[in-house]
Amino acid sequence: MVDFFIGLFLASLITALFTTRLYRLLNWYAFNSLTLGILALLIGTKLDDNAMLITGVVTIIIKAIGIPYFLKSFSQKFHFVRQIQPEIKVQYAIMLIPAILVFTFYLAEPITHMIANNSNYVAISISSLFLSLLLMMEHKNIAPKIVGFLSMENSLFLLGITATDGMPMLVELGIFFDLLMAIVVINLLFNREHEEELNND
Amino acid sequence: MILYITTIVVLLLLAPLLLSFIKSLKMWLLFKRPTSIFQGYRNFSKLLSKETIVSEETSAITTYAPFLVLSPLLVTMFFLPPVVQGAFYVSFVDAFTITGLISLSTFFLMLLGLDSASAFGGMGSSREAFISALVEPAMVLTVFSVSMMAGDLGVGQAGVNLAAHFPKEHMASFLFAGISFFILLLAENGRIPVDNPETHLELTMVHEAMILDLTGVYLAIIETASSVKFVIFASLFVSLFLPFGYTYAAPLAIFVFIAKLFGVAMVVAILEVNTAKLRLFKVPNLLGIAIVFAFLSLITFYVLGA
Repeated sequence: MVDFFIGLFLASLITALFTTRLYRLLNWYAFNSLTLGILALLIGTKLDDNAMLITGVVTIIIKAIGIPYFLKSFSQKFHFVRQIQPEIKVQYAIMLIPAILVFTFYLAEPITHMIANNSNYVAISISSLFLSLLLMMEHKNIAPKIVGFLSMENSLFLLGITATDGMPMLVELGIFFDLLMAIVVINLLFNREHEEELNND
Repeated sequence: MILYITTIVVLLLLAPLLLSFIKSLKMWLLFKRPTSIFQGYRNFSKLLSKETIVSEETSAITTYAPFLVLSPLLVTMFFLPPVVQGAFYVSFVDAFTITGLISLSTFFLMLLGLDSASAFGGMGSSREAFISALVEPAMVLTVFSVSMMAGDLGVGQAGVNLAAHFPKEHMASFLFAGISFFILLLAENGRIPVDNPETHLELTMVHEAMILDLTGVYLAIIETASSVKFVIFASLFVSLFLPFGYTYAAPLAIFVFIAKLFGVAMVVAILEVNTAKLRLFKVPNLLGIAIVFAFLSLITFYVLGA
């Protein structure tokens, strides 16, 4: 079952790499976060770790519902460009993405020897880290870059819950608050930019 | 042996029903008054009684290509994985044979389009060639990786193995192969993100453009071929990716299988209502996703074993 959701996690990230519309990208991000939350719940029940269950629920509430909603409302408020064409052409992306996956699977091999259980999950989360880096690189607009940054955080979170059997609760909550602060800062930044644009006009 | 023949006959009889079901479900979802789900049979009998006219410009190919479109698909029906436990099945036919037979049928369909000597036919043929060239590598990779998970290269044997032992430990790569195969199902059958099966005389069409000149019996054969193709893909999807209910007693197992086929048809209909048709030059993006997932499924299986 965990394998299935790890697969969905990676699949939604890869589909997000090919999307050309902002709202659909946000939907894929929400789905990605939802699978991450379910994974945290599943692994938490397996390890009997209450802290991880709380983290899973908070992930679903904040990342799968909250952040996509806020980003969508920002994009309506500040009139973002909603057509986001990737800079890397599709035919190159088709070759690049498998190459990245093969590279990272072999890259993670020495680490996986050190970890007793769930060694595959480490490889998949490192590869999704690289893929979210690609998502940041392939767009010029600011909005998909933010989504890329957020999904990079998602894959780090996946690495945290699979490789270390759960980080301390305090660290995870700290990351959540950091993320919320980042969203507030992004909002302020856009407000400032918007005002300056109005002044220039 | 009797079960083998029965399932093939049932699937053949079911073929027009499935496409009519998709159509009427779509109409119902769009708040139109739905057509009867038996419309496929009515069209078939109507076309059989109509006069068959062949254009003067065409060569002999038009008179025998429709049969050559249908026959490889009928042969493929015999190679599908079994529906019921204990039924006879062909175990040695692999992914390459099935892909080859389906593309043989597509080849004759393209010849038919070219032979009609109208501009539309040639355009439809070139588009079909473009799409099927992109479908085939992904199709071979997908069926290959599922066969690796099942532990046998033969498609029929792979279906049996998957039903006996569901690959829980390879769930991630199984999922990737499933996504890839579903995209291929949409692309090969000309469903909406790739081709719109309902339009006539529109610049975007692919499948309808090739058969625009056909009438009567020939049109009936081609329509049957396209519904048989959908049944082949749907039943491959069902027996490779949803392999449960195989061990029940014979009538129940067949019923469960048919229910799963209708489930696939329902998913296709809902997807068609919710998505717009892609521009022709955007189709490689969709099929590129299919190829990436097929490849990903193979390397996840080999490198990680997940």
